[in-house]
Amino acid sequence: MNARRLSLVAGLTTAAIMLTAALALFAARAGEAAPDFTATDSTGKTQHLADYRGKYVVLEWHNNGCPYTRKHYESGNMENLQREWTARGVVWFTVISSAQGEQGYMTAEQENQYMQQMHAAPTAALLDPSGDLGHLYSAKTTPDMFIINPEGVLIYEGAIDNRATPDASDIPGATNYVSQALTEAMAGRPVSVPVSQPYGCGVKYAH
Amino acid sequence: MFLNRTVESGRLFRAAIFCGVATMACAASAHFGVAKNNPQNEVSAPHVDVQLLTEQKAIQRGHSLWVGLQFQLPSGWHVYWQNPGDSGEPPTVKWNLPTGLHAGDLQWPAPHRLESPSLVDYGYQDGVLLLAPIRVDSTVSPATAVTLQADVRYLACREICVPGKANVALNLPVQSGSATLDSNAHALFEKTRAQLPKPTPAAWRIRAQSMGNAFVLSIATGKSEREGVFFPLDPGEMDNAAPQKASPTTAGIDIRLQKSDQLLKPIAQLRGVVEFGGSRAYEINAPVAESGAQGPSHQSQ
Repeated sequence: MNARRLSLVAGLTTAAIMLTAALALFAARAGEAAPDFTATDSTGKTQHLADYRGKYVVLEWHNNGCPYTRKHYESGNMENLQREWTARGVVWFTVISSAQGEQGYMTAEQENQYMQQMHAAPTAALLDPSGDLGHLYSAKTTPDMFIINPEGVLIYEGAIDNRATPDASDIPGATNYVSQALTEAMAGRPVSVPVSQPYGCGVKYAH
Repeated sequence: MFLNRTVESGRLFRAAIFCGVATMACAASAHFGVAKNNPQNEVSAPHVDVQLLTEQKAIQRGHSLWVGLQFQLPSGWHVYWQNPGDSGEPPTVKWNLPTGLHAGDLQWPAPHRLESPSLVDYGYQDGVLLLAPIRVDSTVSPATAVTLQADVRYLACREICVPGKANVALNLPVQSGSATLDSNAHALFEKTRAQLPKPTPAAWRIRAQSMGNAFVLSIATGKSEREGVFFPLDPGEMDNAAPQKASPTTAGIDIRLQKSDQLLKPIAQLRGVVEFGGSRAYEINAPVAESGAQGPSHQSQ
């Protein structure tokens, strides 16, 4: 019995590994399990998605030279969202997938300085110059937003809001899809917009 | 002779403004910069020219005319098609026209696939002329000249993207006789009109089949088509970056398009533009049939 149970556990573990690999191949999709990852943040700490089971996790793809990113940072909109939602227990990862030499690439020191200067307040900024995390989630633009629920399911992917422009004057009155999805999910309601077309600059992946 | 023109591009700009009298067009040129707070991300500023052009030297009461927004970009820069693809944003225009003049929709030539790592955008390398029809009521006063103004917003990208704005204008007399054409502008407009996607001939048979993670767009033109590229009008339906598999058939071509990961519901229509052999472009509006089976394999050769 014990041996059989052990082999069952071994089998399940193999299945789980294969599932992770399959998810990596087919990218992240709203309604499905969010692919697990580990990444190094700008303080040198290793961040493991699975460690945040039980919490909402937001992934925000970032390039500080992109006019669409700057729209949301120079207006204070993104920093306010980070502050508002981390205060409510959400884990917020800013992800930088710009390759070295490309726009938006940041060393750890540069990113820490930038976050201080902008009064940015994510839980951490993940440095992904290889683009592995970006490709795992098929992040297309900056910004491109993803929300993972406490059960580890991706509940939102796409644009930050419904005004696909680089103008900060378009922020007031826009429907912020991230706030909307988090508000709905936390209230136990279905997410009304689980997917939208992300807008912005293309992520500056390594060639 | 001409009204004042203004150019803006957010917080940092230097604008140089001139009017080309010969073509009765006014050009707005701007150098763009990017804020200084990201020293490692300094951008070499693109020089973007936006002009409002027409091929006619005057407008005629009761007749339509074509005007065009011409974008001229430095080598390697692009602006976007009406569906920009994976990133970017199409140019937009807000017309400011005198009473009795009415602007129609911008006409978009077939775009190019602009490929970067993991992404494909749709747009125009180095520039484009976007035409728009202007309808002129017969009640427009014949005595005066009119000024056509356009507020243009656009995003120009190479490796990086820079948004821009231009306010362009055109001053034209109102004429009752037949319109005189500017030959240079007319040649350019003719060339551009020839590049616009055409409605598909009634005899063509066009349909799309949804098969698993792909759409197969079948276009029967009556003869085998060797090359075909599809540009989707609606975002979020197909995976822009996935290679398209074009298979010639005896009566046309089948193009296999991978579905987007973002597509959660079936679609009734696949709309867009198909371009055969890099020159003949047609508007496509294909009804989509669902197919549970894998469907036939589409092999070329």
